[in-house]
Amino acid sequence: MKDKPNLNAAIAAATCALLGTSAAADAATEKERWSFDSSLLYYGESDSRVQDISAAILAQRDFDDERKLSLNLTADTLTGASASGATELNRPQTFTSPSGKAIYNTPAGAVPLDDTFKDTRFALSGSWTQPLARLYTFSGGLGFSTEYDYTHLGANTSLARDFNKRNTTLSIGVAYSQDDIKPVGGAPIPFAQMQDVGNLTNKRGDDSKDVLDLLFGVTQVLGRNTVLRVNYSYSDSSGYLNDPYKLLSVVDPVTGDTVARVAAGGQGPNGVYRYESRPDSRTKQGIYAELKHAFGAPVMQLSYRFMTDDWGIDSNTLEAKLRWPLGADNFIEPQLRYYTQSEADFYRSSLVAGQALPEYASADFRLGNFDAVTVGMKFGHRTEAGNEWSTRLEYYQQSGDVPRDQVIGNQANREQYPDLSAVIVQFGYRFGL
Amino acid sequence: MKAILSIATFLVVSGCSSLGVQPWERDVLARPEMSLDANALDAAIDDHIYFSKEASSGGRGFGGGGCGCN
Repeated sequence: MKDKPNLNAAIAAATCALLGTSAAADAATEKERWSFDSSLLYYGESDSRVQDISAAILAQRDFDDERKLSLNLTADTLTGASASGATELNRPQTFTSPSGKAIYNTPAGAVPLDDTFKDTRFALSGSWTQPLARLYTFSGGLGFSTEYDYTHLGANTSLARDFNKRNTTLSIGVAYSQDDIKPVGGAPIPFAQMQDVGNLTNKRGDDSKDVLDLLFGVTQVLGRNTVLRVNYSYSDSSGYLNDPYKLLSVVDPVTGDTVARVAAGGQGPNGVYRYESRPDSRTKQGIYAELKHAFGAPVMQLSYRFMTDDWGIDSNTLEAKLRWPLGADNFIEPQLRYYTQSEADFYRSSLVAGQALPEYASADFRLGNFDAVTVGMKFGHRTEAGNEWSTRLEYYQQSGDVPRDQVIGNQANREQYPDLSAVIVQFGYRFGL
Repeated sequence: MKAILSIATFLVVSGCSSLGVQPWERDVLARPEMSLDANALDAAIDDHIYFSKEASSGGRGFGGGGCGCN
């Protein structure tokens, strides 16, 4: 008789479990239906190049029957200078700003940076996920972002199906986006020469691009402590794919110095510079694999990505994170990432005067041959209420080079590829309501 | 395309059928930090930074908005 209340409780618990209506669990979900992950980030490049302060919040609301709403809002403020693609010289250089209304200067012996760069960006995206039939999960989302010279509108949908007692999940997804580009001063005509202040004959109106993405994924539970995800991605972009602010210096075939030019009244470039010209389509394919493994309490995350595109760029990315608990409420997570890419077929550090123009050319360093390393550390603390504070500190370093056959004359003695380093500091707070 | 997809699906599903765990062995996999999307916001932030600075992007999932990043 003494055991009777316990027996009753056990029967009640078993009944609830069978009906899937645990009273305690219901109370918990009622209490914590909204969960938020917020972040404040500083990104700063050395040599007073790009500085970004960004605030982001990811809000998720769980509904009954595993339905979920996810909203992400991000605001960025960018300032600073960005390498224009023009080559370094041992004489001062003058350029017309993108607006065509002013000039800016680069001292002798310095990599030309366009310091007219300022922007504020807002991005909002949302998605809805819900089961469809017993083993299927549907997800659909919309994304929007806007900045002074750029607007993005996108939609995506995906369908996943579970197999093998939910140990295997196959998914397929499609995304489409339409971006409008309204460059300051107008989009330059490809290969048009930089003109004096007030002359906008080298510019035309706004432009746009479309991007179609496909994603096929497999998620597989490999064991009690290990899960693997492998994705194949395909992306097709078409339309205006130039960077409207990137330049190429037109250089002497022997000295490698930029051909001099006299600007009317000094209000224009003192050298010959042309705007870049990229193909109007690009197809990318990639394989991404991610493994998570728990060694008891610590959790390791390893990922690898290979990407290749029809511009001739191949890239390999390796990333590792190890989340290491410190007591019950804290953790540290060292992070390491290595990235390497080959240059685009049409990457040119400069154009040679007197030679016919190639079909396409860009001196954008991001299309060059470079390696990048990120070293980081994250620290997290869980509060008594179950919320989580975190701080992440990262250092990013890029170093690249220009193909030897593109280095002409005096260019060999100058910095050909402006290496980049940046510090990233992020504060995060995760809480439920 | 449909045939290739069907064959690929069959191979993955049948090839993986010997892998995995029973429902009652999911204690470790159920921990929040073991979720593949455990740090969705960090992942989105990283993707955005690398998208602005490198030629390759994406692969993990769909991005959270375009950018005319310079």
